[in-house]
Amino acid sequence: MSLLAINDLHLSFGGVRALNGISLSVEEGQIVGLIGPNGAGKTSLFNCICGVYIPDTGAIRFDDKNMVGLKPYRVAEAGIARMFQNLALFDYLTTMENLLLGRHHLYRTSWWSDMMGAGRYRDEEIRHRKVVEEIIEFLNLERYRKHPVGMLPYGVLKRIELGRALCMEPKLLLLDEPAAGLNQEETEDMARYILDIKEELGITQLLIEHDLSMVLDLADAIQVLDFGQGIASGDPDAIRANPRVLEAYAGKQAAP
Amino acid sequence: MPTRALTTRHAQDLELFADRWAKAGLVLLVLLCLGFPFMAGNKWLVVGLQAQIAIVGSVSLMILTGFAGQISMGHAAFIGIGAYTTAMLGEHHHFPFWLALPLAGLAAAAVGMMIGPFALRLRGLYLALITVGLVFIVKHMLYHQVAWTGGAKGMKVPAYLWFGGDAPKLSDYAKEPLDLGVVSLDSQQLMFFVFLLLAVAVVLCGVHIARSNTGRAMMAVRDHDLAASVLGIHPARTKVLAFGISSFFAGVCGGMLALQLSYLMPDGFGLPMSVNYIAMIVLGGIGTIFGGVWGAIMFVVLHPVAEQLQPYVPYFSERTDTLFSTVLFAVVVCIFLIFEPLGLFGFWLRIKRYFLAWPFRYG
Ligand SMILES: Nc1ncnc2c1ncn2[C@@H]1O[C@H](COP(=O)(O)OP(=O)(O)OP(=O)(O)O)[C@@H](O)[C@H]1O
Ligand SMILES: [Mg+2]
Repeated sequence: MSLLAINDLHLSFGGVRALNGISLSVEEGQIVGLIGPNGAGKTSLFNCICGVYIPDTGAIRFDDKNMVGLKPYRVAEAGIARMFQNLALFDYLTTMENLLLGRHHLYRTSWWSDMMGAGRYRDEEIRHRKVVEEIIEFLNLERYRKHPVGMLPYGVLKRIELGRALCMEPKLLLLDEPAAGLNQEETEDMARYILDIKEELGITQLLIEHDLSMVLDLADAIQVLDFGQGIASGDPDAIRANPRVLEAYAGKQAAP
Repeated sequence: MPTRALTTRHAQDLELFADRWAKAGLVLLVLLCLGFPFMAGNKWLVVGLQAQIAIVGSVSLMILTGFAGQISMGHAAFIGIGAYTTAMLGEHHHFPFWLALPLAGLAAAAVGMMIGPFALRLRGLYLALITVGLVFIVKHMLYHQVAWTGGAKGMKVPAYLWFGGDAPKLSDYAKEPLDLGVVSLDSQQLMFFVFLLLAVAVVLCGVHIARSNTGRAMMAVRDHDLAASVLGIHPARTKVLAFGISSFFAGVCGGMLALQLSYLMPDGFGLPMSVNYIAMIVLGGIGTIFGGVWGAIMFVVLHPVAEQLQPYVPYFSERTDTLFSTVLFAVVVCIFLIFEPLGLFGFWLRIKRYFLAWPFRYG
């Protein structure tokens, strides 16, 4: 059984059909690449999975539970974490605080013990800080621990956002163009992290990325999207050889 | 040169007073607070009481507006509910004041939690409008429920020390100070220490919230509520909680105000009071408890200072009203908004950084 199974999803905004009958399945432990030209509906699909948009029709099952109609925080609790295409960090909070927020739903203390500064609150806080510290080390963020994130460079912010998603201890990680806007070196680092997340942490990933060579290198399986529909799927070699994929991309990539 | 010690354990990061300097500051502050009611004359003692009330009120607004980002003009309503609850429980039911105060908080919190759900649908200034409405409704009730509130004539606020109408009152110590052997305390000085306990408790609650999971969730909802909910934060619950906690403390603030005034009239609980509290948190610096505390102190202290200055300022020297202190305060707030948007907190950060880097000019 697949970890994530999406079946015949439709979503439209007024006249715009963002998703037009897409189906997709993600096996546990895999990295599945999701590619397609601009406006193909990739981010919309993520938004449906996360409960930000409610699809018009279709089914989303995660861990064999229905996800359609759940609020975003329920989806998060079910074990899906996400990195946004445009950064969505909390600028006034420090790196540490941003990462701790990823663990929000794992806290077992109530607002009351938080407010009272009770011993329970301290133990819980220290327990979570220790986990966050491991992620900080994993992503080499030690230097930025106490910096408000609003002032940090873009490449670091992408890493912090990845870290925040990891702090949620998800079963499925949705990555929306993690390498967009990064330079060559940072892109290579990001690719390394994605592989490490798969191999060391064993987290399943669904990866949207415009950098085709990166997706083809990393993914175990690839789904190609255009106009809200799946136009091809298969392993990287099959996708490389598929003329429809080239066609969908060539038209768009010729334009500046 | 005061250098910050390297933190090596998580527990150290959670200390409220982490290093020697902070501890020294704490000792100084405690001594100042304990000595104040004996050093200050009657006039400044009243200023001290007002400052404590303002601190509780502005910290409570800071939790709602500064942390959770909910702009509320309704603070005067919550304070009014708290004030009149305290007055009515004392006057009509002879409750001791130490029981009336938390009940005042609960009454205000109950109304605050009812406003909460509006905050789920309305954002920013639209929410502010709804809360303006709340102020008018509460004021209307205060004027027209004459049997309970005395209407426009107002009502007395007795501060009973125990249950029953013939129990002693706090005001009894005005004539005959409480003799503790070493020192004797009159009713104002006693009230100062009672308020000190309350203010310290509320400030500590605020600081704890700011540094905890609960406070971070509020700030996440404030800065990016979509991202917050994708992280597993329940935005609705967080906002209602912020309203509940904030209006509870606002109710306590109202109760303290009632005790200090000892006679209540509905007039004071209008929009100007809400605006004053917003000005305090802006002046202090939005988003920190430090800002809430110092904004309140600055606001309260500016009034007597303005009074002293007034005779030397052209135009205002001929006036007898409090317009000058209002203008002075407005000017100070504007100066801060232009030069130091982080308020007194930002100013403090600069000073601290300067001394941490001393003798270098950067840091
Ligand atoms: N909130 C919205 N309101 C209206 N139209 C929308 C909305 N969100 C997406 N769309 C439309 O849906 C289509 C798919 O958009 P989507 O953002 O999913 O594309 P994408 O594949 O992520 O593209 P990109 O590679 O540029 O990120 C686009 O035509 C877009 O204009
Ligand atoms: Mg997109």
